[in-house]
Amino acid sequence: MSDAHATIIASLEQLAGAFQASFDAAPNEQLLRDENAKVLGKKGALTAILKEMGKVSADARKSIGERVNALKSEVERAFDDRLAGIRRREREAELSAPAFDLTLPARTPAPRGHAHPISIVRDEIVGIFESMGFSVFDGPQIDTPANNFDKLGFPPDHPATDMHDTFYTTAGHVLRTHTSNIQVRAMTTQKPPFAFIAPGACYRVDSDLTHSPMFHQIEAFVVAEHVTLAHLKGVLAEFAERFYGTGTPVRLRPSYFPFTEPSAEVDIACVFCKQSDGARAGCAVCKHSGWIEILGSGMIDPLVFEQCGLDPERWSGFALGMGIERQAMLRYGIPEIRLLFDNDPRFLAQF
Amino acid sequence: MKASFAWLKQLVPHLPDDPRALADRLTAAGIEVEGITAYGQGTETCVLAWVVSTRPHPTKSGLRLVTVDRGEGSQEIVCGAPNVPEPGGVVVLAPLGAHLPAKNMTIGRRDIGGIVSEGMLCSESELGLSDESAGILVLPPGFAPPGTRLNDAIPETRDSIFEIGLTPNRPDGLGHIGLAREAAALLGVPWTRPDPEAPVRQRDGSAVDAVSIAIAARDRCAHYGASVVESVTIGASPSGIRYRLAALGVRSISTAVDVTNLVMLEFGHPLHAFDLDKVRGAALIVRRATEGEQLITLDGVTRALAADDLVIADAEGPIALAGVMGGASSEISASTTRVLLECATFDPRSVRRTARRHGLHSESSHRFERGIDHSDSRDCLAQATALTVRLCGGTALRDAAFAEGDAPAAVRVTLRAGAARRVLGIDITPAESKGTLERLGLRVVAESDEALTLEVPAHRPDLTREIDLVEELVRVRGMDTVAAELPSVRPTRPWGGREALLRRVRGAGVALGLSEALTFGFTSRASLAAMGAPEPAVALQNPLTSELDVMRTSLLPGLFEAASRARRHGEGSLALFTTGVVFLSGEGPNALPREPAMFAAVLAGEAPARLAKPRPRDVWDATGLALELVARLTREAPELLADPNAAPYLHPRGAASIHVHNTRVGVLGPIHPNVAEALDVDPRALIVEIDLDAIAAVGTRVPHYAPIPRFPASARDIALVVRDDVAAGLVLGAVREAAGPLAEGVSLFDRFTGQHVPEGHVSLALRIVYRATDRTLTDAEVDQSHARVVAAIADRFSATLRA
Repeated sequence: MSDAHATIIASLEQLAGAFQASFDAAPNEQLLRDENAKVLGKKGALTAILKEMGKVSADARKSIGERVNALKSEVERAFDDRLAGIRRREREAELSAPAFDLTLPARTPAPRGHAHPISIVRDEIVGIFESMGFSVFDGPQIDTPANNFDKLGFPPDHPATDMHDTFYTTAGHVLRTHTSNIQVRAMTTQKPPFAFIAPGACYRVDSDLTHSPMFHQIEAFVVAEHVTLAHLKGVLAEFAERFYGTGTPVRLRPSYFPFTEPSAEVDIACVFCKQSDGARAGCAVCKHSGWIEILGSGMIDPLVFEQCGLDPERWSGFALGMGIERQAMLRYGIPEIRLLFDNDPRFLAQF
Repeated sequence: MKASFAWLKQLVPHLPDDPRALADRLTAAGIEVEGITAYGQGTETCVLAWVVSTRPHPTKSGLRLVTVDRGEGSQEIVCGAPNVPEPGGVVVLAPLGAHLPAKNMTIGRRDIGGIVSEGMLCSESELGLSDESAGILVLPPGFAPPGTRLNDAIPETRDSIFEIGLTPNRPDGLGHIGLAREAAALLGVPWTRPDPEAPVRQRDGSAVDAVSIAIAARDRCAHYGASVVESVTIGASPSGIRYRLAALGVRSISTAVDVTNLVMLEFGHPLHAFDLDKVRGAALIVRRATEGEQLITLDGVTRALAADDLVIADAEGPIALAGVMGGASSEISASTTRVLLECATFDPRSVRRTARRHGLHSESSHRFERGIDHSDSRDCLAQATALTVRLCGGTALRDAAFAEGDAPAAVRVTLRAGAARRVLGIDITPAESKGTLERLGLRVVAESDEALTLEVPAHRPDLTREIDLVEELVRVRGMDTVAAELPSVRPTRPWGGREALLRRVRGAGVALGLSEALTFGFTSRASLAAMGAPEPAVALQNPLTSELDVMRTSLLPGLFEAASRARRHGEGSLALFTTGVVFLSGEGPNALPREPAMFAAVLAGEAPARLAKPRPRDVWDATGLALELVARLTREAPELLADPNAAPYLHPRGAASIHVHNTRVGVLGPIHPNVAEALDVDPRALIVEIDLDAIAAVGTRVPHYAPIPRFPASARDIALVVRDDVAAGLVLGAVREAAGPLAEGVSLFDRFTGQHVPEGHVSLALRIVYRATDRTLTDAEVDQSHARVVAAIADRFSATLRA
């Protein structure tokens, strides 16, 4: 063995004995890589040692080469192990660092907006009817007395109009007192069969705890052949189940509206005092009757068909109309209708 | 309409004993009993007592000690009433333990100034029999033996009163006979209408001898009947009658007037009593008024009559508004000795017009408007005549006087066999139909397998068509007998098409952090004028208040009002929107107004911030809201154009219009200070107004797929200093232009003044993202492009580049 050979071998062995300690001493990945470069890098110890290779024989080169390869593998393995160790420790440290203070205010994507309770209820009701096959018919809030009253069979100079204290415009038009003007508009412009729903603002000269001079109604009506009261009841029952919850019975009480006959007020079993067995205990909302009045309905009066140019012997239909305010007040427990139109941000933010 | 259960039970003895049971049955058939109140509740335990003696209270002045005989013994009661009768007088004693709900008191032993009183002598108000009373209830001596229960002595002291919400088609329900008939029909129990009493004193003679009757307006008055009772004494009615009237909400006036009210409550047919000696010229004429003619009505108001008013006139002029209210000149008074009773049938529409014209809604007009039973006029008159003799004394003239106008024709209706199935979806047998309708008072005049023809009684003017009879059938058998069935609805296309858009607009508004307000369609001219909104196109004839007399031409006044109120409540932050229509002039005379749909928002105060002081909202909140809203609705990139004249209510320095392609869809900006001042709105408020019909016209773009970039982008920044009157948008536009197609995006990411920026200048930092669609750009290519941009911008804006 030549001196050179021996020197190289000695240097390699020295290197082999020293690198592990320096790797173990490296506190993080960067310093570990630095240490690794000191051994295996272009300017590292191994490269420096191998500069002496020219001075040894070919045989010796071979045996040195084997030793070098083994050393390289050793260093690489030690590097990988140490790196894995460092990463594991760092991950553990990261995981066990103090928790984020989740009680700090959240960063909201956008400030929260609020739909008006009337809109929420309106969209829900419209949605229920749309899913039953009804479509929205949009019509004007200011209409002719003919469309609002006459064609609906309101007799002239009749107390039936007392139920509708009407705003008149100086041009002789009326602010519609109900959304039933849409029935007339549909019947005079569309060819049956059809099923429409008409949501919108209405007006009556009335202002107290439960009345607002502007309010909102939703009218739903079907005109087709062979429509009966049984169908009206079917739609009402379906609506009640979907809007007020399953297991909400409906009750029809005969009543009077000029444009329907037979006419009925519709009650639902009180949803506020329902017991687990389905019975109603009675409460302030239903005035201890177990029933809450929610809407008016009936079979479209043959006179209305005639006035709108449809043959009452052929066409039949039903109509129902409800005040959206009432549904919203019931649902959300709003005691006064005025609150719905005050637009107090503290009120609106509740919905 | 209030109804007495006791009276109904008297008319139909087979009614159930429980008022609730009857109420439920009536309600289920459309005669809605909205409530039942107990009249005279607590009187059950009260008894009549006879005054034996009285002496003053030994220590308390104003009080007396009254010894009364209560049947089973006598006792001494302390009483403070001023009207304790002489010995022998009959009073009402509430014994120990009696509870009187009217005054919420329970009678207990009371020591009053050393005297123990075990009971109370009661007033009518304490017994719940009237609203107020001047002293204790005193009955005539010998009225009933001591110890008699008050309820036995005067049955009218205890009753269940139905509050009935009667629909206007059922005039028959406005009298107890009609309600009794209905109840009997619904319950299937026998019933006969009582015949009128005969007067206890009458003499041969006719009312015709006392007064002549003529109908000049035959089309307005089908029938006029009058009877005369002579030598009457007008006074207070007996307590039983007063309580019956009080229970039904009618004030007792005097015997003669109470008679007309009682008969009206019984038959549903209004009557009137005249002082015959005040009828001038012994003549009554039913005629139209002459325009401007004057009449002082019973309420003391002088009324100028219209030619359309129907009046009862004597030889000199009107003495009553027919069917609405009597005149003061012929009013019954204490000195009246001859009473003329009127029972007539007036045209419902005529009565209604007169009542409305004069703002006079009376019990009488209420009934005539709905149509009274003209077939029972003679019976009503007979009953009233007999009752007058009974209550006022005197003698009736045997024959009443009648005049006839145009009699209403009898109504016949045919019910076809299949009618019920067609309307109700259920079969009703001919036997059931016939039975039900006959019980309701209809008379079968023809009958076959195909149809039933019936004559309708006069008390049901609402039954004129087949459908009316079908309704009766289902009303009586109950709507619960019809099974529910879902119809097969043929899907229909929406009409008008704004609902879906409005729903999206509301959704977008809420998603952008706004709260939705709902504002009235009417507003004041003053607020529209103050903000410079379009002139109102629709004015109201009868506004709620004289202020709110026009329909809005802008949604903003309503929002301003909400904003101003919120500000007064100290709400620092406000972001409200509303959607709705405004009312603009229609096209052509008499056309309906146009109702375009709008969106409006008002922002004010501070925007919420996180872990920082809130930031005052500024015009860029408005531009951001408007651009984002329009972009969400149209899926287009809207364009903002600064325009000092965009709208008169916008601050000229920040006013802008917003456009999609070439359609102007809205305006935005800070509120004009003049408007803010006039309408008491936060002067820093911001406005966004979007025309939703314009949005609908623009439509919503359907996105078209563009290939996703496959090659990486490179970004370069420029920082430059320009004069501060150079709009940032202009710089950005110029950058885009100079950068050419390789520039995928240009954004302004910083802007500041001061520090090292010279006075009157501003530093802008922009980032340009370069990308080619077909290759990866080399650094050299990007640098080259970027150098071109930098040179162009520096040149165009005389900008200084910053490192």
